[in-house]
Amino acid sequence: MAKQYEIPIGAQHISLLEPLHFKFTTENEKIVKTDANVYYVHRGIEQACCSKFKFRQVSFVVGRVCGLCSISHTTAYSQVAEKLVKIEVPKRAKYLRMLVIELDRIHSHLLCLSHVAENSGFEALFMKTMQYREFSMELLEAVCGNRIQYDFSIVGGVARDLKPQVAQSIIERLKKFVPQLDELMDIYKNNWTLSLKNKGAGAITKEDAMRLNVVGPFARAAGLAVDVRNETEDLLPWKEVGYEMITETSGDVYARNIVRLRELYVSIRIIENIINGLPETPLITETKAFPDGEATVRLEAPRGELFYYAKGNKTQVLERLKIKAPTFSNVAAMAEAFTGNEYGSVPAIIASYDPCLSCTAR
Amino acid sequence: MKLASYRKKSPWILHYNAGGCNGCDIEILACLSPKYDIERFGMINTGNPKQSDILLVTGPVTKRNRERLVEIYAQMPEPKVVIACGACASTGGVFRGMYNCEGGIDQYIPVDVYVCGCGTRPEQIIDGVVQALAILETKTKELEESVRLKKEAVKEKQQLNRRNIADEIKPAFT
Repeated sequence: MAKQYEIPIGAQHISLLEPLHFKFTTENEKIVKTDANVYYVHRGIEQACCSKFKFRQVSFVVGRVCGLCSISHTTAYSQVAEKLVKIEVPKRAKYLRMLVIELDRIHSHLLCLSHVAENSGFEALFMKTMQYREFSMELLEAVCGNRIQYDFSIVGGVARDLKPQVAQSIIERLKKFVPQLDELMDIYKNNWTLSLKNKGAGAITKEDAMRLNVVGPFARAAGLAVDVRNETEDLLPWKEVGYEMITETSGDVYARNIVRLRELYVSIRIIENIINGLPETPLITETKAFPDGEATVRLEAPRGELFYYAKGNKTQVLERLKIKAPTFSNVAAMAEAFTGNEYGSVPAIIASYDPCLSCTAR
Repeated sequence: MKLASYRKKSPWILHYNAGGCNGCDIEILACLSPKYDIERFGMINTGNPKQSDILLVTGPVTKRNRERLVEIYAQMPEPKVVIACGACASTGGVFRGMYNCEGGIDQYIPVDVYVCGCGTRPEQIIDGVVQALAILETKTKELEESVRLKKEAVKEKQQLNRRNIADEIKPAFT
């Protein structure tokens, strides 16, 4: 048996956006065992939401759980609070929520793709992807008023209306973006240098993905058709606006890149459908009721299934709020998929998981 | 060798997330991208504290992150500048008072520039970094000035030196 070495990565590392610690046991540069340590950023948001803030303020606090998918968190919380106070949201608010979620998905997926390219050692592609991503940030600023931390969903509806000229500019910018996306698809699919780092790295089989309860693009790249947008219809009407499931089969870094890129085409189609068929209803349902009872909500964030549970007791302050983020489900599979890979391809694999630890640790 | 002028032209940045929400971190990444492009100031994001001049910290300090933050700060060579990036790094922001948060990085390391906003815009980050460059220059000058010792060396009564040891042992009583 060859000699085994332990190599740590983290908590601070050039390839990590957030504090995350992996300890790899390697044997001739091959990884045989991985320990993951993800709880560096635990802040205690759940406890503060149940004691310090009133239930209408909580939707702004849970947006700060994660900066990348903050609209998913605020929307999921707004939905669970609406279930507790028993109101129905106007249809225009639902459509606007879906619009911002999909714009957010575009910027999140492109960020992840650029990060994979950077960690694979392809600096030029990182720059190119970040350049093409910038339009989505400008559109989000035009729609919501801020580049990140939108605070768009509130309990009962949405905070802002979509102006007609902003809607027009979204359509125009998306038309410009489609050829750029084709170009990116071509590079990520056919570039020989990138494929050396990405094809076959960090692969996970469909059975393992099923056993380890993987969600999001990570699961869809392995061939597992899991998507909350495909399953729930009651809160946000995804199928009405042209949602389509996207899966790949190989389950490696390459497949994850392709899944993310192909989902962008679906997102573009959804946004165009939403803007063309935006219903004319009020934006918000007012109520003076207090939250009572229990409710759960599932929502598809850019990284996978987001789960909210809330319990109210007829006061302004919630009794319990539970957040289960998508990365939390993926941690076990993340540690498993490293096994058998070269140590040199670790940064690219970590970036391809798209881990969001501030969601996980809350 | 004009080390100071080189440092001014190419300050290297170290980025650490001390428990934030990623919002400011992706804006720092956006600063590296072609639209904002802080490489025109010669700045490169490095992962190594021993090669960097500017420490960009985001997020309120969580209890598990504070030792890492202080350790990274201690490993950076002088002169160094710390930028608190975002509302929660400056004061704690929305996380102030939560049970696992400390509320601002200035409780643990000295901060030179505070950048406000939740989340910070890339223009604000660039403005903060350019301010940090001026501070880096003054710190470099202070470091390079020759310092004359104005005080005399401390002499304590009980100080034991070699001469005292060599003295004859006086009889305890005569």
